[in-house]
Amino acid sequence: MSSAQIEIQLIASIVAVACAIPGTFLVLRKMAMISDAISHSILPGIVVGFFITQDLNSPLLILLAALTGIITVVLVEYIQKTGLVKEDTAIGLVFPALFSIGVILIAKNANDVHLDVDAVLLGELAFAPFDRLLTGGTDVGPKSLWVVGSILIVTVTLLILFFKELKVSTFDKGLAASLGFSPAIIHYGLMSISSVTTVGAFDAVGAILVVALMIAPAAAAYLLTTDLKKMLALAIIFGIFSAVFGYWVAHWLDASIAGSITTVLGLVFLLVYLFAPSKGIIAVMYRERQQQTEVSLLTFLLHLKNHDELEERHVNHLNEHINWQKVRAKTVLDLAQKNNMITIEKNIVSLTKKGNEFTSKAINYIMTNEDTQIEDMKDDFFLFRG
Amino acid sequence: MSKIAVKVDDLTVAYNYKPVLWDIDLEIPEGVLMAIVGPNGAGKSTLIKSILGILKPIAGSVSIYGKPYTKQRQLVAYVPQKGSVDWDFPTTALDVVLMGTYGSLGWIKRPGQKEKKAALEALEKVGMLAFKGRQISQLSGGQQQRIFLARALVQNASIYFMDEPFQGVDATTEIAIINILKELRKAGKTVIVVHHDLQTVPEYFDWVTFLNVKKIATGPVKDIFNDDNLTKTYGINYKVSIQE
Repeated sequence: MSSAQIEIQLIASIVAVACAIPGTFLVLRKMAMISDAISHSILPGIVVGFFITQDLNSPLLILLAALTGIITVVLVEYIQKTGLVKEDTAIGLVFPALFSIGVILIAKNANDVHLDVDAVLLGELAFAPFDRLLTGGTDVGPKSLWVVGSILIVTVTLLILFFKELKVSTFDKGLAASLGFSPAIIHYGLMSISSVTTVGAFDAVGAILVVALMIAPAAAAYLLTTDLKKMLALAIIFGIFSAVFGYWVAHWLDASIAGSITTVLGLVFLLVYLFAPSKGIIAVMYRERQQQTEVSLLTFLLHLKNHDELEERHVNHLNEHINWQKVRAKTVLDLAQKNNMITIEKNIVSLTKKGNEFTSKAINYIMTNEDTQIEDMKDDFFLFRG
Repeated sequence: MSKIAVKVDDLTVAYNYKPVLWDIDLEIPEGVLMAIVGPNGAGKSTLIKSILGILKPIAGSVSIYGKPYTKQRQLVAYVPQKGSVDWDFPTTALDVVLMGTYGSLGWIKRPGQKEKKAALEALEKVGMLAFKGRQISQLSGGQQQRIFLARALVQNASIYFMDEPFQGVDATTEIAIINILKELRKAGKTVIVVHHDLQTVPEYFDWVTFLNVKKIATGPVKDIFNDDNLTKTYGINYKVSIQE
């Protein structure tokens, strides 16, 4: 690996971590689309900042552009507050307007500088190592590494200091306000960090990848854990993995780095979406199937409990009486037998003591909805897990 | 006459310039268990939220024991409507209760052993200790409401505001909650509850406020909980038999 390759992967990874942190809170606040809005509408800020500073990595440019991000959020909220349009419509109105101003500014004035629409949308990570930071004549590394590194340090520091405040205001805005943690301050703090991160990452990875890096790792992590700290950690891990692996995909395919990282992010999410142990599609489908079988089992047991007559309990009559197909009837019979809930003698089905107790308990729960008595049943049966 | 815990003067609150609360004057004496009743859209939740500074009134003022709310936060605990939060949030029952301690900690400081102990005690009080590690979406509606109550208890406040704590809970939980509220009153606390079920007002509460954009009446249940005030508040002829 050449040093340029290492530097590119390092920049991509740092950007991924810096994006995953605010991204996690954006996902939990159901504000994923706002990151899309910010990433586009900071363009005029970048262009104006570039005219003033003539340097894409200048801190002033980053602050100016981040300010445009905040303006976006304020405008969206203002339009939404009038009650005339919904939030997503407001977002859809604001950011294209600001973005197009940026596009026109570039086309009119910046034709001969390193700033074009393609670079803005997709970034040029491959060129990042060429723009070096020199202090007193010594090369201390690529400029963008320093930029995103500083942003990451600020983000992590703020996260550690204000983790509790971020958590409570994300979960329960009303409580946060009543406890004296102004949700507005925390909201705009998060928006500021998201904007600064977006601007800092923008030059390296472009507008589209920034959104992907903020949302996809957090969305995948959300499906895997029920703990906020673990969600943050997982989002960070997914981000770094996609950054590094995406880089090598681009290397092998000789394709755009930003495009490859985004593709890997998409694949990571897809895999988690399908295979997450409890919230994944496959797990959910399996659970629904199981529940269906359990409902059948309960129906069957209840039928046995209510009928003493032999003809009602004859194996062959079961499918007629409760109107089931043969296969279904057999599945349910097997399940009941496996759990020692019924015995079959001479083709006559009878409830065992265990089966009888189980049925009473289950019916009692369904009627009263009191779930303290059925805690022990939750482990064996999906039906009782709410 | 006992001390006044909460005093509201000329409070007017508007959403988009349409008043939802109009010129409310209200004095809540210390140590009462008070219901706020009124039809949908009467501004019951808005009243609580304005007292707590969550909403900004366009006129009027609020004081808690004679001082503005911002100076008296430590004295007040708030239980929002259960539906106001996302129960799929990645956190546990214990962690939600711990949030009640954040107010006394202030900015930046994290909860430690002392706070954790208090949270566990509050969970025990509402009968939810066994569920401390449970992810909150895995709790039933009644259990979620108990967690919210525990979160308020852990604040160890003097005044408790609760927004429809009985909404969507089973009968057992309702009794458990009202018993805890009655205990709080016995301990000298003031409890203010947005309430929907008029039938249970005389049984649960000793003080009541009728609200419908304007304040209709406020006072002891035995004196003012009558058909006249109910009719004024709900706009139709109401007949409620009060059990003695």
